[in-house]
Order: sequence, then structure tokens, then C-alpha cells
Amino acid sequence: MVKRSDDDRLSQTFAALANSTRRAILARLAEGEATVNELAEPFDLSLPAISKHIKVLERAGLITQGQKAQYRPCTIDVTPLEEVSKWTEQYRHIWEARFDRMDDYLNQLKNREKNNE
Amino acid sequence: MNDSTITEDAVVIERTFEAAVNIIWQMWTDPEHFKQWYGPQGFTVPVADMDLRVGGKRLICMASPDGSMKMWTTGEFTEIVSSERLVYTESPADENGNVVSPSAMGMPDGYPATTEVTVLLEDLGGRTKMVMTHAGVPASSGAGGGWEQAFDKLADHIATALNNK
Repeated sequence: MVKRSDDDRLSQTFAALANSTRRAILARLAEGEATVNELAEPFDLSLPAISKHIKVLERAGLITQGQKAQYRPCTIDVTPLEEVSKWTEQYRHIWEARFDRMDDYLNQLKNREKNNE
Repeated sequence: MNDSTITEDAVVIERTFEAAVNIIWQMWTDPEHFKQWYGPQGFTVPVADMDLRVGGKRLICMASPDGSMKMWTTGEFTEIVSSERLVYTESPADENGNVVSPSAMGMPDGYPATTEVTVLLEDLGGRTKMVMTHAGVPASSGAGGGWEQAFDKLADHIATALNNK
């Protein structure tokens, strides 16, 4: 069974990925760590706007940001990506639960039959 | 015996049920039976229209426990061999059966617009082995391709970056 927290985390990851700027940021970070300034460079966006995107990615656990005050490089964390890279992973849980219910329902039908005999 | 595996883009689940093969066939093809098990946990299935012939349409509605959220899917049967083999396609839809994009349905980007469900049944004499495959159908047109391409590119970047470590 999929745990509620797993579901929430997946939703958060999907939400974070549902934006082309954030995906581009991740693509850039896949090549190596970068500062916010470096990440902002290819975009026609203000630093605060980029920072906002980084915050979203950080909350989703997709990137981590260093703690040094002046130079806080961002690094990618691929763990959440591995979870969402397959839509099948989510559907598998749904199907397993469905077939558990089919099993229960078949038993109900059998019992009904018995009682009618 | 229960078994499930995940391939690159498909869910494959194998199960053996303690029921005759014609009963399991009805579970999939008789709306009244189908409604009893198909809804995700707590969900109901208020609508399950099935025109059971090749090219026949399906229209399924799943409703959340409080009825506030309804999810419609449509598609058509592509193969029907009674008590042996059932194949149908599935796409997110509105209540009139018009196909809508997965993201418009609140599904995360990256979900295939059309998927295909294949059910294979094997008569084990009073018991039935079932193999269900739910696979993504590759997008034939540009619709939705942008995201998929972006994701492929991202996956490549990550693979490269990890290999270089």
C-alpha cells in the first residue's frame, strides 16, 4: 500500500516539476552545482523570481542549497525524480488495491450464493 | 499467488482468483460487477458504460467518497475474446466522453494521454489466472510531447551527471 506521506511527496514533486523554468534549473544542476546567480543567467527573470523557483524545488527535496552565507551553491538531489519517473509506480498501487477488492467482492458473491442454497 | 512487476512504461500484475474464468470475465465486462471493485479506495463508480464490441466505447466515472470530485475516462475496446483476452484504451475525459488532456484532469504532467489495458485470463479449472498490463501509449502527435521531451532530456542530463561522478 502506498503511504499517505508518499502520496504527498509525489504530489509535491510533480507540482515542482510542472514548470519549464524549474525543469531547466534542474537540467543545469544535473551538470554540477551552481549559485543562484549562475542559475538565473540564462533566464529573463529577476533574482527573486529565480529564488522563488529554487525554494519550490528545495521544498520538494529536488535540490539542496549550501549554508555558506555569501556563496550558497545549489545541488540536485535525484531521489524524488526516481520516484516520479514512472507513472506506473502510482498506478501499480491503485491496481493492487482494486484486485484486493475484486477478491473481496468474489467472496461476497460466493457467500450470497451459499446463503441462497 | 500474487506478483507484480514494473517494466519501463507498463504495470504488469499477475493474480490467481478463486473463481471460474467466466466470472472473472464478467468482473471486467459487466458494468454492475465492474462498479463493485474498480473505484480506488473509498471511491464509487456511478457510471460504467461499456459497448462490448471491438470499436465499442467505454465511459467510466469514478467519484470521490463525498462526491465532490469526479474523474471520467473514456476509450474503446480493441480486442475481445470472451473469457480469454480483453484490450481497451483509456484517456481522461469529460462527462460527455470528450478526451481531455491529463493535466486538465488534475493528473500530474508526464502521465500518458492514452493508456492501454490488456487482460489475459487463463482457466485453471474453477480458478483463474489473470495477467493485467496497463501500458502508456506513445503520443502520436506533438500534443503533450513538450513535457515528455523535456523530461527525457532531464533524465539524460542526470544519467550523464551521475556517470561522471
